[in-house]
Amino acid sequence: MKKITLTKQIIFYVALVAIWQLVSMTNIWPNNLFPSPYEVAEDLVYTASDGSLFFGIGTSILRLIIGLAIAIVGGMLLGIFMARIEIINQTIGSLVLGLQSIPSVAWVPLAILWFGLTDGGIIFVTAIGSMFAVTIATYTGVKNINPHYIEAARNMGAKGTQLAIYVLIPAAFPYLISGFKQGWAFAWRGVIGAELLFSFLGLGFLLNVGRQLNDISQVFAIMLVIMMVGIAIDGIIFKRLENKVMSRWGLR
Amino acid sequence: MTKLEAKNIVKYFKHDSHRLTALGGVNLQIEDGEFVCLVGPSGCGKSTFLRIVAGLETPDEGEILFDGKPVTTTGPERIIVFQEGALFPWLKVQDNVEFGLKMAGIPKEERAQISKRYLDMMQLTKFADSYTYQLSTGMKQRVAIARALVMDPDVLLMDEPFAALDAQTRDLLLVEMQLIWEKTKKTILFVTHNVTEATVLGTKVAVFSNRPSTIKKIINVDYKRPRLVEDQNLFPLQQEILSELRPEVKKS
Repeated sequence: MKKITLTKQIIFYVALVAIWQLVSMTNIWPNNLFPSPYEVAEDLVYTASDGSLFFGIGTSILRLIIGLAIAIVGGMLLGIFMARIEIINQTIGSLVLGLQSIPSVAWVPLAILWFGLTDGGIIFVTAIGSMFAVTIATYTGVKNINPHYIEAARNMGAKGTQLAIYVLIPAAFPYLISGFKQGWAFAWRGVIGAELLFSFLGLGFLLNVGRQLNDISQVFAIMLVIMMVGIAIDGIIFKRLENKVMSRWGLR
Repeated sequence: MTKLEAKNIVKYFKHDSHRLTALGGVNLQIEDGEFVCLVGPSGCGKSTFLRIVAGLETPDEGEILFDGKPVTTTGPERIIVFQEGALFPWLKVQDNVEFGLKMAGIPKEERAQISKRYLDMMQLTKFADSYTYQLSTGMKQRVAIARALVMDPDVLLMDEPFAALDAQTRDLLLVEMQLIWEKTKKTILFVTHNVTEATVLGTKVAVFSNRPSTIKKIINVDYKRPRLVEDQNLFPLQQEILSELRPEVKKS
């Protein structure tokens, strides 16, 4: 079954590249606006060979990891407090919903003024753009815990931090995973968006350089890389984590 | 020696706008080492009474005395076993059983020694490394009982623990429960709606009236163990309990 799906996908992508090649050969659009797959591949090889591509990927991923880690820790803490303490939910909870609606790039001007054109600014944008998705998932997860789990744990002497670490977080984990997934997607958008505007290293920066040099193949190439990194992180980390949790929790 | 004493326990439930009196002054005295079964029509509040004894709910009037001291909160000397076990799906069987010990800060090796004894007692040794989704309902209930016994509570509170089991598994556990009681000499409070179960297990059967519930009658069961479900000698007692229950069920 899996093999058949993979075959279909390979055929699809080969066909897609072939059509792309054909369209670029017809010269409907000028070559400086619509590059051929060959030119894009050439550009990829070039940026890879001088190391700038890998440096860009590494820089972006490092910022993603730090930002997402801050978002996950902060988001989970806030979510747990919101779920367990009603006054926090009624006050800060409403603010969280509002903050969640701010797109991460909208934090960029603030980040530039606060942090200057630094890594710290980009990480701030990444973290704040993804934190509230984690908060909301944690809140929902903790609210949906089977009350008997909490009662049994309290009955056996768990309270406070112990209760949070050994019961609330693991019990809410199926929800947390979807929060992490959403958080990571927001964080990745946040990193690239911030890098574009900060123009300070990373894949977003390379993309912007492509635009400034009118180098359409580089723009295409970097967009491809952004997508592929996204697919890789989703497939390697989150799909596996999700599968494991779903079977362990008996949800599958 | 009196282990537990319920003094005029009253509990109201808010039902939309009007107030429902679930427990209308329950008085009960339980001696150390007694096995008391609570039977009553469904919705009479016998489970609520058990939760009050566990300290998971507070009565609106009256108090529970444990060793002469009023119960204000939940504690490991009064451990509750829920109908569906409330086992933690993120932990292996052994870790579930050791949960309370871990919360109490007992080191790993010592925990393993203690849990081994109860895993053996409940015939769970070969499932120690399983996750709960891999177990049958009957096995889960064994784990739940082991998890409670590990805490070495003075009082074991059981809330219809066998209600979801198939008849064969239940009959087996009814015999095992008697052996456990004889071996551990725990004081047990056991909620059930099954009269046969109550007479097989209990040294005493307390019959609850319909709402607002009080204890209508206490029937002593002096008959040698192990008792079986098909024991003819228990029939007259079962008839007596049923004749007390029937008018109450009709009222509900």
